[in-house]
Amino acid sequence: MSLLSTLIPSLAPAPAAPAPAPRTDSEPTRTPRHEVTDTPEAYGLVVELPGVAKDGLELSVDHEQIRVFGRRSWRKPEAWQALHRESRDIAYELVLEHGRTIDAEKIHAELRDGVLRVSLPKAEALKPRKIAVA
Amino acid sequence: MRLIRYTTPVARAYHPAFARSPWAGLEEQMDRLFEAALGETAGPAAAGFPVDLYEDAAATYVRAELPGVNRADINVELADGTLQISAKRTRKTGEREETVEFNRALTVPEGAVAADKISAAFENGVLTVTLPKREEAKPRKISVAVS
Repeated sequence: MSLLSTLIPSLAPAPAAPAPAPRTDSEPTRTPRHEVTDTPEAYGLVVELPGVAKDGLELSVDHEQIRVFGRRSWRKPEAWQALHRESRDIAYELVLEHGRTIDAEKIHAELRDGVLRVSLPKAEALKPRKIAVA
Repeated sequence: MRLIRYTTPVARAYHPAFARSPWAGLEEQMDRLFEAALGETAGPAAAGFPVDLYEDAAATYVRAELPGVNRADINVELADGTLQISAKRTRKTGEREETVEFNRALTVPEGAVAADKISAAFENGVLTVTLPKREEAKPRKISVAVS
């Protein structure tokens, strides 16, 4: 699921990225609703994680993947009986491939009201550059 | 003898009230079935949001997922036995600003809820509305001393 590379195929590196390594833990997860935006300076990632608090969130970026893992912090009190359920308690997991085009040092992330916003600045080499002609 | 006036099919088709296909009812049913079946994968509709209902001896709890909504833009109302949750989410992307409105109504059993004691909390994008049960509606436990 290389969404970033799909959006901008020209920016994807020539050799195909290897398939993501299989997860070791077999905990069921679901893919949260998310949105990827693209500006000349950075990619923006907005992920809806209702019920996830800061300490239940893991955001990791390695040289080819961005992984968002969120666990709901709220637990149903023992005495509460579910009458009707529309949400699920399983954790959220989102893995995106970034095609080695982002500057991992400058990533900024913010979690507010169940929405994670990540700004992924593009690597200097990929930014549009204006070259003055003498 | 009864006279049945003849109406031309053309005239019928022009009138929106009669333009309804004979299958419209069935189509609606099918749409609803698909919506129910695909709801989880397709994501909630623009106007809806997932809601959970819980209950314990003291109250009924409504938990609604409203990620990205500002606390100030949530409105909870109880009127005529209907609990109305409405919210507004404004998202800015560059210069573009889009507002999505959410709305959901739940029927609350009349007389079972202490309407003046309803409270709501919003945390991590999840709204919890507590509807305390009225004293009369609570199950009563009477301990009997056995001698």
